[in-house]
Amino acid sequence: MPVEFKDYYATLGVTRDATDDDIKKAFRKLARQYHPDVAKDKKTAEAKFKEINEANEVLSDPAKRKRYDELGAHWQEDGRTPSPPGWEGRGAQAANDGPAREFHFTGTGFSDFFEQFFGGGSRFGFESAGRDYSTEFRAEGRRGADVEGEILVTLAEVMHGTMRAISLQAFDPRTGKAETHSFQVRIPSGAMEGRRIRVPGKGEPSVGGAPAGDLYLRVRYAAHPDFRARGADLYHDVDLAPWEAVLGTTVVAPSFEGPIKVRIPPATNHGAQLRVRGHGLPRGRGGERGNLYVVANIQVPPRLTEKERTLWEELSRTSRFNPREPS
Amino acid sequence: MKEAEQSASSAPQPFESMAEDVYSIETVVQITQTPRHQIAVYCRHGVISPVTAPERDGWWFDDEAIRMLRRIEWLRVEHGMTLAGLRVISELSREVERLREEVRALRRS
Repeated sequence: MPVEFKDYYATLGVTRDATDDDIKKAFRKLARQYHPDVAKDKKTAEAKFKEINEANEVLSDPAKRKRYDELGAHWQEDGRTPSPPGWEGRGAQAANDGPAREFHFTGTGFSDFFEQFFGGGSRFGFESAGRDYSTEFRAEGRRGADVEGEILVTLAEVMHGTMRAISLQAFDPRTGKAETHSFQVRIPSGAMEGRRIRVPGKGEPSVGGAPAGDLYLRVRYAAHPDFRARGADLYHDVDLAPWEAVLGTTVVAPSFEGPIKVRIPPATNHGAQLRVRGHGLPRGRGGERGNLYVVANIQVPPRLTEKERTLWEELSRTSRFNPREPS
Repeated sequence: MKEAEQSASSAPQPFESMAEDVYSIETVVQITQTPRHQIAVYCRHGVISPVTAPERDGWWFDDEAIRMLRRIEWLRVEHGMTLAGLRVISELSREVERLREEVRALRRS
């Protein structure tokens, strides 16, 4: 199925030889700008935000990025591309009889282009007709294959749970027939990243009256400008001046309950994680929450005035602190 | 190339998946069309696991177990894989999944 090529480098505003760090920085900056929770124009921000997330999904993963660069190099006008050997796209070749059924998701938060070439999804199960099956199965007909796809959810959706409208179109290139199934899927509050949500019977249809395969939707968290998620815990990086880390201070950190005050104790090292209990994502059914960790990110002043330089030099003479001394 | 004939879309039907669906062994037998004794063999050899200790809470399985069970049954029936082979596959799958998620998380930080 012809699909529009997505220029992920342009989306992130980086050059083709951008380093991983360039990409990370560009992504963070844009994610902050277009995140639906903070953006001014929510409608356009949402669409743009999804594009940015998708571009990051591909470009921040070395294997995907390599595939993408190869794909781009061979992309033809009609959206078809000669597959390198060993390539498995969504509409992969069946074992011995030409193109297999193609699946096409909408509503997952990813573009057609991504779904076709990078969707974590796959079909798993019995191949299309033409193969020889054991008598055990021939009698009852063959269960349809399980289909797996990914669904992009924001942290806000994970906090409260959400209903998403998904449709899955199965296109059989041999008959030219397409069948679309639309349904609502509930993402429960606290759904973990990577968790598969099983939608029974919405996978590949079966042959001969056996049950259809299942659909599995893998939950993928969209990036958030303020938090990284790991399990039910959230991590927020806070920049600190050196004296703040040494002397201690109070900072304001974001949370889903609104801004919270966090005390940075004296002698906080770079990378130290300060735990704020119960401000993470929901966990389990009992209303428990994971934790929020505020991570100290010490920054040094890029320029010094004369007076500042004098003070720092005096400090370097006065202090006995030597981090490289074996203790 | 032939134009795809679109069949009418079915109207969106609400499907609610509860936070942690669990299924009794009888339901699993029905869903996966796998005989009970086969499921018991898999459990005994650690290829799939119930969600709780069976002697305490009985045999309850989650969606992951169903997914895994389908795959290994497919391998057994389609490819004649032995139980020993299935154990290895099952362990490797879990390990790969775990590593993939960890790499994703690390990349994010």
